[in-house]
Amino acid sequence: MGNSDTALHTSSRAAQRTIRIYMVISGIVLFSMMILGFLMLLSQGEIYIIDDLVLYEIMTIHGTGMIGIGALAAAAIMWHFLSQYVQLSTGILIANLVFFLIGVLLVLIGVLKYNFAGAWTFLYPLPAMSGGAWNVTASVLYLSGMLLIGIGFILFYLDVARALIVKYGSLGKTLGWPIIFGKSKEKYGPPPTVVASTMVTIVNLTAMVAGATVLVINLINVIAPEFTFDALIAKNLTYAFGHIFANSIIYMGVIAVYEILPRYTNRPWKSNKIFLIAWNMSTLFTIIIYPHHLFMDFAMPQWVLILAQILSYMNGIPALVVTAFGAIMIVYRSGIRWDMASGFIFFAMLGWITGVVPAIVDATITVNSVMHNTKWVPGHFHMYMGIGAVSMIFGFMYYLIRTEAAYKDQPVDRVSMWTYVLFFFGLCGSFLFSGVVGAPRRWAVHAPEWVPYDKLGALCALFVILATATFVIRFLSRVGSMGVRVEDVPLLEGDA
Amino acid sequence: MQQSAWYISLLFMALIIFVFVVVFFQSGRRTDYAPIQKKGYRIRRFYLATLLFILIYAGVISLKQLPYDQPVFAAGDPIVIEVNAIQFNWEMSSNQVKVGEPVEFAVTSSDVNHGFGIYDENMIVMTQTQAMPGYTNKLYYTFTKPGKYQILCLEYCGLAHHYMVADFEVLPNEEA
Repeated sequence: MGNSDTALHTSSRAAQRTIRIYMVISGIVLFSMMILGFLMLLSQGEIYIIDDLVLYEIMTIHGTGMIGIGALAAAAIMWHFLSQYVQLSTGILIANLVFFLIGVLLVLIGVLKYNFAGAWTFLYPLPAMSGGAWNVTASVLYLSGMLLIGIGFILFYLDVARALIVKYGSLGKTLGWPIIFGKSKEKYGPPPTVVASTMVTIVNLTAMVAGATVLVINLINVIAPEFTFDALIAKNLTYAFGHIFANSIIYMGVIAVYEILPRYTNRPWKSNKIFLIAWNMSTLFTIIIYPHHLFMDFAMPQWVLILAQILSYMNGIPALVVTAFGAIMIVYRSGIRWDMASGFIFFAMLGWITGVVPAIVDATITVNSVMHNTKWVPGHFHMYMGIGAVSMIFGFMYYLIRTEAAYKDQPVDRVSMWTYVLFFFGLCGSFLFSGVVGAPRRWAVHAPEWVPYDKLGALCALFVILATATFVIRFLSRVGSMGVRVEDVPLLEGDA
Repeated sequence: MQQSAWYISLLFMALIIFVFVVVFFQSGRRTDYAPIQKKGYRIRRFYLATLLFILIYAGVISLKQLPYDQPVFAAGDPIVIEVNAIQFNWEMSSNQVKVGEPVEFAVTSSDVNHGFGIYDENMIVMTQTQAMPGYTNKLYYTFTKPGKYQILCLEYCGLAHHYMVADFEVLPNEEA
């Protein structure tokens, strides 16, 4: 066991084609969802008013779509790199996509035709008690669609777990337990991609069980309202699912960082003991810190909430001290060739880590009592999702067309990348400050005090969308000519 | 509190951006990795210790001031105001208190989840709790300034979520 077992497998053509389809869909959907986000800001900023019903439908699609497509794209990143180390099933990769697309179709029909607007959190018992806004069919379509998407991902992670266990013996071994507990004299554990994939598999299978449970509870409640359930337990299940599933997007995306930066710097990224401990911490903490979403549910046991604050603080340590520091160290005086792939990966780490700061601040109970469900919350998660995770996705796209279609960056790409990052920081800043001045999240209409920041946010979002158009169009225009072998394309400075 | 959160976040985010900018400008010239790793791991130990100190300090300070079951910041039993959230309205047993009077808001919901957020005249959040069917969350608060306050729903509850607003008045307390 060790990092020497690199690139053992080559993906089949079918698998490579499927990964490209994943990324094509991801690019188009990301762009579309950004436009929906922009529309919401235009309306809140009183620039272009949208009907309340339509805005909450847009909000539901934006949230569901962003989390869903982020997970799909990040899963493609994980599959692409992990398949070099273990034998994954292409059939399951395709099945996940099919389940995803059918699920999305049901979700869209539920929202667009039947007006479901219960937000992506579908907090029990809202799907069944819409106040007359949508009917049973709408909720059944939305919840069933989400369930199908979840089933696809369960199959996906079960296959990853199977492949890891077949190759390495157990998930404990792929998390480096023999090294952590001194049972092995090896200096390094499995490749970082294998370690990260194990973590994501464990946490996301946990998330899926919680999510599927609460989806089924909601479905039964919608069809038979006489069946009721404890709202606090349902909320726990919802956030156990939502928190873990959303965060795992970054933990899958970071595999692109582990794989791409070493190739660009010709410096290895190995899983030493500290690295392995960090990922074990992340595995545990990601599963158990979700109650920081329930700080304002005073009926929760207090010790759970206090523990959630302490563990949320500690959950920042692996990212801040190990992964971010590792990225900085590997780039420092490396002679790295800066292009769109390496640039996005570097910016992704910046976005992730800066986003951790307001997230930790909000994970403080006393702060949360004045910030919870204000726009501070989308402020921090847009930072580590939009600049962090999505940059990992764009970086991976550019990596693919560079290594497999020999694409060389154009000036417009680089200008767009800088535009994207700078204006995304502006967008997040407008969200965070809106939270400071009290703007609630998920409000269709804003008080005059909050409107200027919505206008600023809309302006920033416009530039983010323009930049994103460049990336997506570039990927779509090059994806058809992919097929050049990886080894043929120089990634190191001076190789060309 | 909000301003503190904002400035603390800005400070640490600026620090992180500064480090990334420095590394970016130091990325062009290639040197051996082993000495960088050796020095890096030394810096990382110091970085970890500093980070732990900051987090433990922030944790200890902040956990002393939890909003749950806190003693009301005034003598005597609190005035209990029953609050029931219902799409899309706040039913409150009273919408007036005096400055300095300890108040217990007993908050529940008769349909879906809502958020009971108290806003001041500048539309700044003072405090909040969730309103949940089947549970009563007790929120303690003592107003220090007279004026017109508002209750806003802070948990998405349906299409008229943003209309779920109630007025609340805090009167001057001549006895105080």
